[in-house]
Amino acid sequence: MKKLILIFLCCSFMVFTANAQRYITKTGHIKFYSDSPLEKIEAHNRQVKAIIDVATGDFIFTVLMKSFEFPKALMQEHFNENYVESDKFPNATFLGKVTNIKDLNVAKEGTYEVTVEGKLTIHGVTRFVKEQGTFEVQSNKLNGKAKFNLFLADYGIKVPGAVTNNISKTIEITVEVALDKFN
Amino acid sequence: MKKWIKIFAGLFAIGIIAIFVIFFFFYNKPHPDYANMDAAYTMAVGDLYKSYKANKTEAGQKYNGQVIAISGRLSKVELSDSLTTCVFVFNQGIFGDEGVRCTMSPSFSAEAKKFQPDGEVRLKGYCTGFNDTDVILDKCSIEKQ
Repeated sequence: MKKLILIFLCCSFMVFTANAQRYITKTGHIKFYSDSPLEKIEAHNRQVKAIIDVATGDFIFTVLMKSFEFPKALMQEHFNENYVESDKFPNATFLGKVTNIKDLNVAKEGTYEVTVEGKLTIHGVTRFVKEQGTFEVQSNKLNGKAKFNLFLADYGIKVPGAVTNNISKTIEITVEVALDKFN
Repeated sequence: MKKWIKIFAGLFAIGIIAIFVIFFFFYNKPHPDYANMDAAYTMAVGDLYKSYKANKTEAGQKYNGQVIAISGRLSKVELSDSLTTCVFVFNQGIFGDEGVRCTMSPSFSAEAKKFQPDGEVRLKGYCTGFNDTDVILDKCSIEKQ
């Protein structure tokens, strides 16, 4: 599986290199929100790397798990050590495409509905995902937004019995990226 | 009987205090103050980048989650939303500049914004890892020369 991901990553990079219509950011924002009966937990990662090639629709995200910031230090420790095991699986990645990229006109300001699909890898588990989002075109910027839910069990993330009422089995993920044109 | 009640009340009070202590000093403990922590590693910023480029797994096992003090020639300071990031560039790739990105702690942002490109700086921060193009240091503080 690791070899397949590496090959896919290399192929994606080669496609990106061949085209010039790229928009990138290294300061994208992902919010993680868990709403359980006992506790609401929110964490933010503001160092998300993302690139989109608007010619092909290829879209890549890379997230460092240790860059998530929680309101409480203990939550952050548990997140890294017990749940996502960030020493073992330091990165989460998304490798995919905007399937309706032809609907996105970067020459015309406005908000465009997009469908993104591809392979999301978290905690060493890769799954196919398909989600809706928007891109707002603003001069040389693309502001991407999406909100979707993740099931922890889908990614092999186990919540200990003692805290099952503190952490929701479904996590709401909000993605906000302000991508700059890059030549 | 009264003695038994006193013992029970005493144990109950100790229990309440223990819960209070656990809540405030364990569950509610503050985030680490990286600026006042000793660095686990002190090195040239270029060496840190080279370590990850040479073997990201090995470097990750050594440096991820550690407080690292780095020194080197600054390439630029990037400002985005509320973040001030000191960037040391060592390579060019599909994501543009590649190198070491140091996100400044809010209390050191104002000082970092005054940094000039090509100036020698010494920073210390919490290493969150390598995202295949950049090594990320978070909550960075400025180390005195």
